[in-house]
Amino acid sequence: MNYFVGIDIGSTAIKITVIDENRTLMGQRISGSGSMFYKYAHQTLNDLLNDLNITKDEIVYTVATGYGRKLFKEADESISEITANAIGAVAAAKEYGEIKTIINIGGQDSKAISLDDQGNVVNFAMNDRCAAGTGKFLDACAMNLEIGVEELGERHFKATGTPLSINSTCAVFAESEIIGLLGNSHSVEDIVSGVHYSIAKRVIKLVKRVGVKEGIYFDGGPALNMGLVNAIENELGKKIFIPEHPQVTTSYGAAILGAESYAYQQQMKT
Amino acid sequence: MSNLIKREIESPNERQNRHKAMEAIKVLNDLREGFKVPPQSMEYFYNLFEEVYCHQKALHKGKVKVGTMCIQIPSEIIYALDGVPIRLCNGFYTDDEIGSDFLPQKACPLVKASVGHLASQNITDKPDMIYSPTTCDQKTKAGSTIEGFGYDVVDVNFPRTKESEISREFFRRSIREFSADLSSKMGKKLSKKNLKAAISKIGYAQSLYHRLSEFRKSSAVPILGNDMFLVTNAFFFDKIDNWIGACEKLVSELEQRVKDEVHVAGKVSPRIVYTGSPPIFPNYKIPLIIEESDAIIVADETCSSNRMFNDRVAVDEWFVNDMVDSLADKYLKACTCPVFTKNDDRIRRIIELVRSYSADGVIYQAFAGCTVYELEQRSVLEAMEKAGISILYIESDYSPSQHGQLSTRVEAFVESLKIKNRKRS
Repeated sequence: MNYFVGIDIGSTAIKITVIDENRTLMGQRISGSGSMFYKYAHQTLNDLLNDLNITKDEIVYTVATGYGRKLFKEADESISEITANAIGAVAAAKEYGEIKTIINIGGQDSKAISLDDQGNVVNFAMNDRCAAGTGKFLDACAMNLEIGVEELGERHFKATGTPLSINSTCAVFAESEIIGLLGNSHSVEDIVSGVHYSIAKRVIKLVKRVGVKEGIYFDGGPALNMGLVNAIENELGKKIFIPEHPQVTTSYGAAILGAESYAYQQQMKT
Repeated sequence: MSNLIKREIESPNERQNRHKAMEAIKVLNDLREGFKVPPQSMEYFYNLFEEVYCHQKALHKGKVKVGTMCIQIPSEIIYALDGVPIRLCNGFYTDDEIGSDFLPQKACPLVKASVGHLASQNITDKPDMIYSPTTCDQKTKAGSTIEGFGYDVVDVNFPRTKESEISREFFRRSIREFSADLSSKMGKKLSKKNLKAAISKIGYAQSLYHRLSEFRKSSAVPILGNDMFLVTNAFFFDKIDNWIGACEKLVSELEQRVKDEVHVAGKVSPRIVYTGSPPIFPNYKIPLIIEESDAIIVADETCSSNRMFNDRVAVDEWFVNDMVDSLADKYLKACTCPVFTKNDDRIRRIIELVRSYSADGVIYQAFAGCTVYELEQRSVLEAMEKAGISILYIESDYSPSQHGQLSTRVEAFVESLKIKNRKRS
């Protein structure tokens, strides 16, 4: 059996997906990027293949993506995370319906991607300059509030007062705003929902730059945070679709592209 | 799993309300928590704004609400005819963004926000009719845009040359027409009794403002400039009797504070006179930056505060027609809006405020797009320089960004005033 690997090396995490010739998902794994992500990428891949009982010889094509993609030299091909995200999203949402707009919030960036009817990328926008409105920002906020990042979603829905907005556009200044709010004994819940709305407003600006088209898909680690999802939906006034595994869409897309490239190469040989 | 949680999506009105509540609570929290103990009587005002803007509380159910687009519509006449004047000048960035769909992007944020607020139709104390004085170009043109949203809008002719006798007669006729129009709409006549009572009531409200202002002349300033802006902003829409009651309490509390030498600022905080485009709640961006930069606003020259209360109506004969004419005179002659051809009165007033409130400097804000204040900046700056008064000119808008750059400029100005004071002593 032939298998295909998509490996997405992001700023915060390494995401690996393995699929078979029928593009069926075989397995996925996520690990921290850490300081030596080349080493961790290999280790994670080996662990995953062991779990799946797949030998290295059976992997016929590997595609690397993400901001560390160039460092994974064993890959047969590398593509940008924007293309990979688009391919992965369209495939992951197959049962849901057509995807026209993708919102991706990563560890250190956020993107909006607009697709045409065939699922091709027609336009995209990325945050510039800094990490405000990204996963890192959520991490920092959770740390300041002394709660786990996975608690943020739940806390959001428990807010009873007006969400307390964070106006600073800089993640570092935003932290000091949060500390100020805590110092004046505001509830953690109201601060959390304020943080989510601040990120949501920022992301919506990106989405508006590429145009809001129905069929909105949201992925990246922060898509696991239902509070943030709720804030984005409220700001957009539209429902958005969250895949089952929002963290690995991009590596899934890379694996699919691997299968396509392999099939194409085989075709060229004959 | 993630999709199993049921998530409700807000309606557009709910979203707008939340956006405005978030803007409002931010400023209220800053005022409540960001400074040394505010007067206890301020709690009334903090709660009022929170109820109206965070919880959409309607204040005037069952009353006829008369919207005014600018300061020049005499509220005395509205009260005399049993209406409630509601000044529609708006300070919300949320509404400014909505207004951008109807007016040019570069238009004044105050006018855009006022238009955006009315466009949304999401209004708790919705005006039954609107009077729009033809003051600046943008407000003049906004009237017909608002009419397009289905409101009953009546233009009130306002002249642009203050000094001439023609203007005086012209505006008297405008106000007579306005009171006739309102009188027929309300089905009630202006009488000697009801108009005199309304003039006295507003006069009393003005006297309370004057007393509050006097306290700010003392070396220990008992109240923040930002709190004073909140008090005068409440006058735009609050129930007048409640407002008067709250101000009476504030007056007695501040009186005691002055005796006790309670000072809300630092020992060497420079005293500032604020002038220019009016800070309307929750757009207290520049006033907050000023007071967060260790300065204190001791007086202001704006149409949302000082100018609204400064001059009393001078009546010769207490007959209805004479009273209406006196009101017209007050709202024209005492006005120092930069829409006028010549506006030396404004310069005189700023200098007078600096002298009588022992201010160390002036901060002049013009909203980007508020052409008249932008235009008048030059003559005011020249006059201040001549008078030896330090002045900082800032252009800004309603957006929450740029806070860092603006506060650096204000801080540098405040520091320069501190150094000047130190050298002088």
